[in-house]
Amino acid sequence: MQRDMHKDIHIQRYLPEENAEPFWQTFQVPYDDTTSILDVLNYIKEELDPTLSFRWSCRMAICGSCGYMVNGIPKLGCKDFVRNYPSALRIGPLAHFTVERDLMVAMDEFLDHLEAVKPYLINEPQDKQAPHRQTPAQLAKYKQFSNCINCGLCYAACPQFGLNPEFVGPGAIALAHRYNLDSRDQGQGQRMPILNSHDGVWSCTFVGFCSDVCPKGVDPAAAVNQGKVESAKSMLIQMFRGGA
Amino acid sequence: MSYKPTLSGSWWLQHRFFRAYMLREATVLPLVFLICSLLAGVYSLASLEQFSAWQEFMAKPWVIGIHALALLASLYHALTFFQLFPRVMPIRLGNKQVPAILMVAGQWAGTVAVMVMFLWLFGGGA
Amino acid sequence: MSQRWRGLHLEPVWWGLFSAGGVCFAVFIPAIALVFGVLAPLGLIEINYLQLQAWYASWWGLIATGVMICLPGFHAAHRIRHGLHDLKVGGGFWSILICYGLAAIVSVFALWIWFQA
Repeated sequence: MQRDMHKDIHIQRYLPEENAEPFWQTFQVPYDDTTSILDVLNYIKEELDPTLSFRWSCRMAICGSCGYMVNGIPKLGCKDFVRNYPSALRIGPLAHFTVERDLMVAMDEFLDHLEAVKPYLINEPQDKQAPHRQTPAQLAKYKQFSNCINCGLCYAACPQFGLNPEFVGPGAIALAHRYNLDSRDQGQGQRMPILNSHDGVWSCTFVGFCSDVCPKGVDPAAAVNQGKVESAKSMLIQMFRGGA
Repeated sequence: MSYKPTLSGSWWLQHRFFRAYMLREATVLPLVFLICSLLAGVYSLASLEQFSAWQEFMAKPWVIGIHALALLASLYHALTFFQLFPRVMPIRLGNKQVPAILMVAGQWAGTVAVMVMFLWLFGGGA
Repeated sequence: MSQRWRGLHLEPVWWGLFSAGGVCFAVFIPAIALVFGVLAPLGLIEINYLQLQAWYASWWGLIATGVMICLPGFHAAHRIRHGLHDLKVGGGFWSILICYGLAAIVSVFALWIWFQA
């Protein structure tokens, strides 16, 4: 394919074995109006600088691997395009996470919070052989929140997570909410202690930027704030009932 | 080895969305002034002299200015609050979700109704 | 610590007051700011002292006190306390004590004024 337009792309590099500080490096890259940010990174790695490190996989916005900061906004590399940036284009690692190398960040900081909310069906089915039954209405209650691809863009967008890394965060809370709303699940009681804590739903101030940047329309801000209603109810019930 | 930049206290200046968030939070500042004025007002209701003095205070140009700001702030707060509320408490009727725009319109109807009611209650022309 | 109190804290209380105050700030404050803050001082509306005093002395006055002074006060306190945290200049124990403490004092004072009327 003929690509006769060229653009200077600025990438934030971090090569810990060479330099303790991150630095910006500029590459000139050919592009057309179909070129994605991920295409740019792969071009650079293949043709210009094989030392550039970044994560990617499906290139179709379902694996959640290619999250970066593009001009200061968290984006999926495969879902954002050079044509959207007529002026400068600066690519950096996802914000609010520890940077390991170039555009690769330590996702454990998100995955630990995710694991802590038990994001899986918890139940004791009467008949372990029989499939669960669920109506379309029951599915509709949680379906939006099940679209999360664990990309972490919402964590890069969330200033409360930026200020406090102990905050469980939008993605994990959205997934906890997804399971709490699932008619097949009986595990809400096991999730509430972490959601009820100061680092749970109560750290959120509904900035709402997480929902803005979510590439799958999950609306984690809605989940977290619905979680505040659930948490308030749960804590009130606990106080009157005398126990969890 | 790794690094992690710390967020500075001016993180919110970096993007339009965050500045709008801070503006939304700041709407309570003129509200605090208004609350103090109202507190003084109800205190002054004890006598006509005190009430007239309160009215004189409320008529000072800089006071009107801050209260006008409080009016604008309350409307910006209402704009953001009414959009957020359906996301915190979505309403389902049977199978269907009540459309957010209906909930937003309903809340604005409340604000307008209260304004009309106040103007009718107190609105004897000068 | 018994099971009843394990992990409990007051944050939902402040958030509940903030939410109720937010409704009042959005639905009632525009009217009162418009009428008493702008139109009446500009002379476009004439406030009748006796009518207002009688109205305030009734149960409506108590409701108005709650809806226009007390609840918006807690709404403002909550936003200011979290705002101090966002600006990295506070938000901890002293911010909580001062913000909600002042809101409580204002509320009690406003209610006391109404009881005197």
